[in-house]
Amino acid sequence: MFDFLKQYYPVFVEGTAQTIIISIIGIMIGILLGLIFVMMRLSKIKFLSYIARVYIAIVRGTPAMIQVMLIYYTLSKVLEVPQIQFLGSGLDRVIPGSIALGINSGAYTAEIFRSGIISISNGQTEAGLSLGLSDRTTMFSIVLPQAVRNILPALGNEFISLVKESSVLFYIGVQEVTAQALGVGGTLYDFVPPLIVAALIYFVLTFILSQLMQLLEKKMGRKYLRSN
Amino acid sequence: MSAGESIIEVSSLKKAFGDNVVLKDISFDVKKSEKVVLIGPSGSGKSTLLRCLNRLEDDYEGKVLFEGENVNGASKEKLRLLRQKMGMVFQQFNLFPHKTVLENITFSPIKLKIATPQEAIAHAHELLKQVDLSEKADAYPQSLSGGQQQRVAIARALAMNPEVMLFDEPTSALDPEMVGDVLGVMERLAKNGMTMIIVTHEMSFAQNIADKVLFMDDGMIADSGTAKHIFKETNNTRTQSFLSKVM
Ligand SMILES: Nc1ncnc2c1ncn2[C@@H]1O[C@H](COP(=O)(O)OP(=O)(O)OP(=O)(O)O)[C@@H](O)[C@H]1O
Ligand SMILES: [Mg+2]
Repeated sequence: MFDFLKQYYPVFVEGTAQTIIISIIGIMIGILLGLIFVMMRLSKIKFLSYIARVYIAIVRGTPAMIQVMLIYYTLSKVLEVPQIQFLGSGLDRVIPGSIALGINSGAYTAEIFRSGIISISNGQTEAGLSLGLSDRTTMFSIVLPQAVRNILPALGNEFISLVKESSVLFYIGVQEVTAQALGVGGTLYDFVPPLIVAALIYFVLTFILSQLMQLLEKKMGRKYLRSN
Repeated sequence: MSAGESIIEVSSLKKAFGDNVVLKDISFDVKKSEKVVLIGPSGSGKSTLLRCLNRLEDDYEGKVLFEGENVNGASKEKLRLLRQKMGMVFQQFNLFPHKTVLENITFSPIKLKIATPQEAIAHAHELLKQVDLSEKADAYPQSLSGGQQQRVAIARALAMNPEVMLFDEPTSALDPEMVGDVLGVMERLAKNGMTMIIVTHEMSFAQNIADKVLFMDDGMIADSGTAKHIFKETNNTRTQSFLSKVM
């Protein structure tokens, strides 16, 4: 059933590499946007907070597929990306695609950050301020590190769902795992085996990611309890 | 600044949360080295008053002067400098759980360039010795008892070389057997001449340490004077009734 792999495995390797790359870029952009938008969302400046709410509401209320296509077609009008091939896809597709993943993930990440920040007692902020620290130092050195520790499980879930959702980039022609599997299926006139391979690849990727997140959680949790 | 001069002057301080007027026309002053104790029933505004002094509570009317400088009118930068000189100790300790004891104490002095890292670390070890926790420098707060955490919190505030220390019920969250250690540290601090403003329900401690006691009731200073006056001589019926309930 899986004999085709002998011939087609390089295609899956390429697709897996592509999926990993777009996921990493998407996660990084998502974290950055999440941080920016959570600061705006919690800002005392009403206008900034409003913008952040609108962004979050739009991203959460519309399908990722449509977001990706909208961003791809919009960006391809304004951005001149040279048509360099990268792991079987044009950079003119990979770059807008990864940005779209990041923009999508940023909204969820912002909400996760917000729940984490709210979970840290006001006493932490007050202790920081009472020592003469600035609002910014108090946020970035006192509150956020603790918030991040509390939200690691939720962040892990978000990263995992981003890896899986990255398959929507298939719609704009990025040759990630799903696209490659469908391509192979087309040549074989049988979609089931290559899709099973793709599913297994996603499973292995998300499994590794969740193990890494658990490791990180354990490490941070243990540290807090050191007694001398 | 010579002894006897006011380090904090509060005049006509008024603070409301929405419609709830919590502080109604508070005036008092604190002289250098003076120990001022705030007592009064729950909800009378003691914490709010303390927090107005370093502007953790904002938007109040009246005036708070610290070393002659206007706290409520201060710019953000100025306010940070003023806060550095007013150490605060909280009921819930509020140590930074992601930092070791040593890092808790050295973080602000280093970040604010009050001291080089080496100086800050040396100072921190000295302060830890003062609060009898030398062996805990590398521990994380969660592994300490409440009493130990509160002593670290005091050391953390002292690391900024404050002119005044503000205490908001520093022993109220502690198991009874821990209270003495913390009060002991505060007594030593008092002996060394620190100016202190203390909210507490520990009446015998208040009686021992206070140069001046302010009895707060319903957002006002209902009675004030020496410890002797408040605890022994006052004719104020509200003070008497409060003390009879807590002592
Ligand atoms: N952030 C806040 N928002 C609204 N109301 C507040 C806030 N903080 C305090 N209050 C109210 O102000 C009043 C005085 O509170 P405060 O904490 O100063 O009293 P306290 O004398 O310290 O009492 P306790 O002995 O219980 O600590 C109370 O009625 C309280 O409900
Ligand atoms: Mg209080």
